[in-house]
Amino acid sequence: MVARLEIALKETLLDADGAGIARKTRDYLGLNVDSVRVIRVLTFDAALDHDQLERARVDLFTNPVTEESSFASIAPNFDWLIWVGLRPGVRDTAGSTAAEAIEDLLKIRLRPHEGVYTSKLYAVIGSMSRAQAETMAKEILANEIIQQWRVFGLEEWEPAVGIGHVVPRVILNHKPQVGTIAIGSDDELKRISKKRNLALQETDIPVIRQYFLREDILADRSAEGLSLPTDVELEYISQSRSDHCNHNTFRGLFKYVDLSTGRREVVNNLFKTCIEAPTLDIQDQKEWVVSVLWDNAGVARFDDRHYYVVTGETHNSPSNMEAYGGSLTGIVGIYRDPMGTGKGSKLILGTYGFCVGPRDYQGELKPRLHPRRLLDGVIEGVKDGGNKSGIPTPFGQLLFHEGYMGKCLVFVTALGIMPATIGNESSHLKRTSPGDLIIMSGGRVGKDGIHGVTASSEAYTEHTPAGHVQIGDPYTQKKMHDFLLEARDENLIAFITDNGGGGLSSSIGESARFSNGARVDLDKVPLKYEGLDQWEIWISESQERMTVAVKPENLKRFMVLSAKHAVESTVIGEYNDSGYLKLDYQGKTCALIKMDFLQSGFPQWEFEAEWLPPHARGLHEPVLREPTKHGLLLKTMLSRPNLCCRNWVARQYDHEVQGGSVIKPLVGKGRDIPSDAVVLRPILESVRGLAVSQALNPFYSEIDTYHMTAVTIDEAIRRVLCVGGDPDHLGGVDNFCWPTILHHPDENPDGKYKAAQLVRANWALKDYCLAYRIPLLSGKDSMYVDGLLEGPFGERRKVSGLPTLLFTVSSVVRDIRTCVTMDAKFAGDLVYVLGETKNELGGGEYYQLMGKLGLHVPKVDPDVTWPLYRTFHEAIMKGLIASAHTVSRGGLGVHLALVAMAGPLGMEIDLEAVPAADDLPHSAILYSESAGRFIVTVDPEKKQAFEEHFSGMKIGCIGRTTESPLFRVKGRDGDWIMEENVHELKEWWKKPFGHLV
Amino acid sequence: MRHVKALVLTGFGLNCDYETDYSLKLAGAESHRIHINEIICGDGWGSGVKLEDYHILVFGGGFSWADDHGAGVLLGSKIGFNLREELDRFIGSGKLVIGICNGFQAIVNLGLLPGFNRNYRERRIALLPNASGNFINAWVRLKINPDSPCVFTRGIGEIELPVRHGEGNLYAADHDVQSLFDNGQVVAQYADTSGNPANGQWPANPNGSLRDVAAVCDPSGRIFGLMPHPEAFNHATNHPDWTRQREALRRQGRLLERTEGDGVRIFRNAVDYVRSTLLSLHHSTS
Repeated sequence: MVARLEIALKETLLDADGAGIARKTRDYLGLNVDSVRVIRVLTFDAALDHDQLERARVDLFTNPVTEESSFASIAPNFDWLIWVGLRPGVRDTAGSTAAEAIEDLLKIRLRPHEGVYTSKLYAVIGSMSRAQAETMAKEILANEIIQQWRVFGLEEWEPAVGIGHVVPRVILNHKPQVGTIAIGSDDELKRISKKRNLALQETDIPVIRQYFLREDILADRSAEGLSLPTDVELEYISQSRSDHCNHNTFRGLFKYVDLSTGRREVVNNLFKTCIEAPTLDIQDQKEWVVSVLWDNAGVARFDDRHYYVVTGETHNSPSNMEAYGGSLTGIVGIYRDPMGTGKGSKLILGTYGFCVGPRDYQGELKPRLHPRRLLDGVIEGVKDGGNKSGIPTPFGQLLFHEGYMGKCLVFVTALGIMPATIGNESSHLKRTSPGDLIIMSGGRVGKDGIHGVTASSEAYTEHTPAGHVQIGDPYTQKKMHDFLLEARDENLIAFITDNGGGGLSSSIGESARFSNGARVDLDKVPLKYEGLDQWEIWISESQERMTVAVKPENLKRFMVLSAKHAVESTVIGEYNDSGYLKLDYQGKTCALIKMDFLQSGFPQWEFEAEWLPPHARGLHEPVLREPTKHGLLLKTMLSRPNLCCRNWVARQYDHEVQGGSVIKPLVGKGRDIPSDAVVLRPILESVRGLAVSQALNPFYSEIDTYHMTAVTIDEAIRRVLCVGGDPDHLGGVDNFCWPTILHHPDENPDGKYKAAQLVRANWALKDYCLAYRIPLLSGKDSMYVDGLLEGPFGERRKVSGLPTLLFTVSSVVRDIRTCVTMDAKFAGDLVYVLGETKNELGGGEYYQLMGKLGLHVPKVDPDVTWPLYRTFHEAIMKGLIASAHTVSRGGLGVHLALVAMAGPLGMEIDLEAVPAADDLPHSAILYSESAGRFIVTVDPEKKQAFEEHFSGMKIGCIGRTTESPLFRVKGRDGDWIMEENVHELKEWWKKPFGHLV
Repeated sequence: MRHVKALVLTGFGLNCDYETDYSLKLAGAESHRIHINEIICGDGWGSGVKLEDYHILVFGGGFSWADDHGAGVLLGSKIGFNLREELDRFIGSGKLVIGICNGFQAIVNLGLLPGFNRNYRERRIALLPNASGNFINAWVRLKINPDSPCVFTRGIGEIELPVRHGEGNLYAADHDVQSLFDNGQVVAQYADTSGNPANGQWPANPNGSLRDVAAVCDPSGRIFGLMPHPEAFNHATNHPDWTRQREALRRQGRLLERTEGDGVRIFRNAVDYVRSTLLSLHHSTS
């Protein structure tokens, strides 16, 4: 029997959710919506009698204080009634928890095919046409990729029928079967690969054929009843060889040529030369670097008894398709990496980074989701993912640029902490051994994430799973997280890794390398619904799953803990030393692959890389005369989209859960100015802190990605030093997002240039990590940041994202009581600038405001900056500094204003005192984005000590803070060129987005 | 002297258990983080935890059951369906219950609050979605009602704590709100910087709560529910202004000496109450 329960707030109560939807519909679509009220709908597809349903309604799902509910339609007055539900197969967490609660209430067990489904009804009042109501459904209420909807008008509404009963149950009606694939010739395999969407690399095809034709392989296969390769095997090989899993681009061969000089250079493997080699070199000198370059995340020493774990990645394509689900899956997914590092760590921090098109974009291109709506979705995804996981999300980035309309970027970073030893062994060590059981813990397997392309080109029926889109489930994962930590502490885990890209094929394939073999019963893998083919089970990317190796003697205890935490765990096979990965289904072998096959013999990718230096590309400095309205200029700079207040994002992220918040995302008297970095106290009993910062400067890529990378690393370091981070402990995480670099005369005509940009960025990564002694604890690359957007004439235009590097720096603070924030604290304090301001406005905010790019991009000279940074750190440790702030995008003008606004205090500044060349004009002093600089405020009593401490370095005492709220700037000739009220500056800074909640 | 024992619930998406446990330990309690299933199933997991062995029961913060079907609803029903008698006995023996954030939402759904006429099974209070329409993390100032019987807030006039919730907008029927005020059951109200009730103004009142109510207790004062997180102010450096305070101290030639956060006072009050009332009582009767 199917029953539908409708629940709504009593009509007298404010429906905040509905009010928000009405506001958004008016603001975003200009539609005439007066009010919206939301009705929650639960559809029970289960054999429950009337009394049972009534008990569920009263005892579980209706709050007697605020709600009313009925199994009949309760829609109040409306002009349009819009029903929105999930498509079949889309994760419905609330449906699952409803089923769980009913079982608990009625002490029954629902049968396998029974279930509860959640959906929503929106009762809309407003004068709109049907077409407009449809638009509202499509643009505001639902995303067609994961949701379905129906619009009811008054005329067609039959209260007795209501919205009817929609049960989005997945019914596949498919009997799983293993297919074999002919390999008569390379061409034949190529053809089949294309037809079946196997996505085998063309250059890999001969290698794959040769393997399956080898005499010894044929003999071994025949013993297991196999001859031709099966679809399970080829899907597996395709997954493992994908750029996503294998990083073929970064491991490629780059033929680099500088066209201006003709100088040629071959770079064999960016990963090995620019990431691995310097990191190993630094690891030798830094005892705190525990484990790098092999596990799911890097491991570094936090204190004598703890390690911290850090990693970062992106989730761009899925977020671009389904913003909320994509970013939610992204953040929940990155959390599994620290959980699967070493023997497993407890999550302590997450960060986010969103690069999207302009929020107010009104141009002629038509992205699938308007940047504003996409941004709403990705922000909300990280909110639910972070908050519901109980992990603080205290830091992040938001950057607008039209290039990201082709594909948005969603960066996610995660940190964890673990005891330094588990049992008698360092916790970063793990291995699988013959005889260990393979256990899958957490969620079940469905068609999620399988062949996105294939799935989206299939016709939808009402029971077709919307499988290629994943919706992360932080609740299921949080339970699993708690369970695994307990199992780890009882030393029950021999090996652990997460199921992400490639699913079981990747987690088991990689973990079996330690024991040198494994056998899996695919039919034992718990499924969300029947009818998955064997290869689908093997490569599905269904979320919230970990693969764990457990010794047989520990199995019982492991399962007891799993049950206690209400987590599903299943033994699905065992590790062995057979040299083979063998997959069985109902006793019959369906895949047999030699363990070393995927490690060797595949051809390296090759790229042509052609570089032309900026001046040779015709870049030049703009011709500009000095502005005369400096006050208006500063206020305009402060309200630029990439400099202004974006606090609404940070405020909706829980940044204090776990109780160790030391330096928060927003600081200052008004608690509303972004901090340089965050600090937390992960071990509550200790005063040791962990500092984390990030930087992102893709605009400089338009001039030279080498300097973009250098400045980004430099900025992230300065940020972490500003809060009290230790220059002897700087851990780096590099996250590259790049447009496609493989040259194609029609599809990617500037591919060679983009490849050269990637090489140059990696050169800088190597140079500056060595100069600053930063081991790369972790990192990921995400290529193909391009999109084809529809234009006004039905044409499609390629839009490529800026070459982007997000650089994360972690550091340890010995005693958090030495930490510093960026806000000016007392009137009368001295304001200093440390570091030299140069004529480096290229790619910066001031030139962008003028509609120019320029040529002089900021550069970093570590011979100058590094000694300054060490001296700066010692000054913080000595307590000489009252506030410290990094000068980054926007330059001194913008950042002095932020320090003053955080006070809030006035400031009197003399530009003549800024360390800079004599001929540098005011606009350059104020808005040059030169790296290597700090703004600090100092107690006047400490003037002498402070200046002696920095003797011989380029610092300038440029003014003082004042009780009067005026921000006054004196020009080089001694005249005041600007006088603005700090509160008014803040108003301008908050103008674009300050009203958002 | 016997130990004051506190039980912090964990599992099913609850998440402030570590810092709540830590705060209780700072306050002098012997505190344990215990999975909900361990209490419900007793010996099933080999730990043999019994609610009656504890003096303070903590429903902490988090997203129990993902907050699907209303914040704290399914946590309330889980405990209600499985531990109602144990809970009645626990309350009946004069022990303490505190619900923080998600825990507050759960205990109003369980009916432990408001507990008018000592009826601990009736839902009379709800915590609705924030009027702003979104989750908020912000520090708030609380004005504590000196006339409240609440044992957790004794001696506290004002306190600053962080809120982190999407559903903290307290609602009850007018006459019930009036009863809460009349009975002294309104323990704390959101206040502006000068210490007066925020009068509904965002962000001093972060959720639109009726008459700025942030925390309530039952008529006995032994069951306490609040939206802000005292356990998140366990150390001086949790406070958003601490670097400013530290700089001020430096200029007086002083160091940041007192490092305990004000939030711990709430837990210490609970521990002191148990020690002076329950434990000394046991002593005298034994």
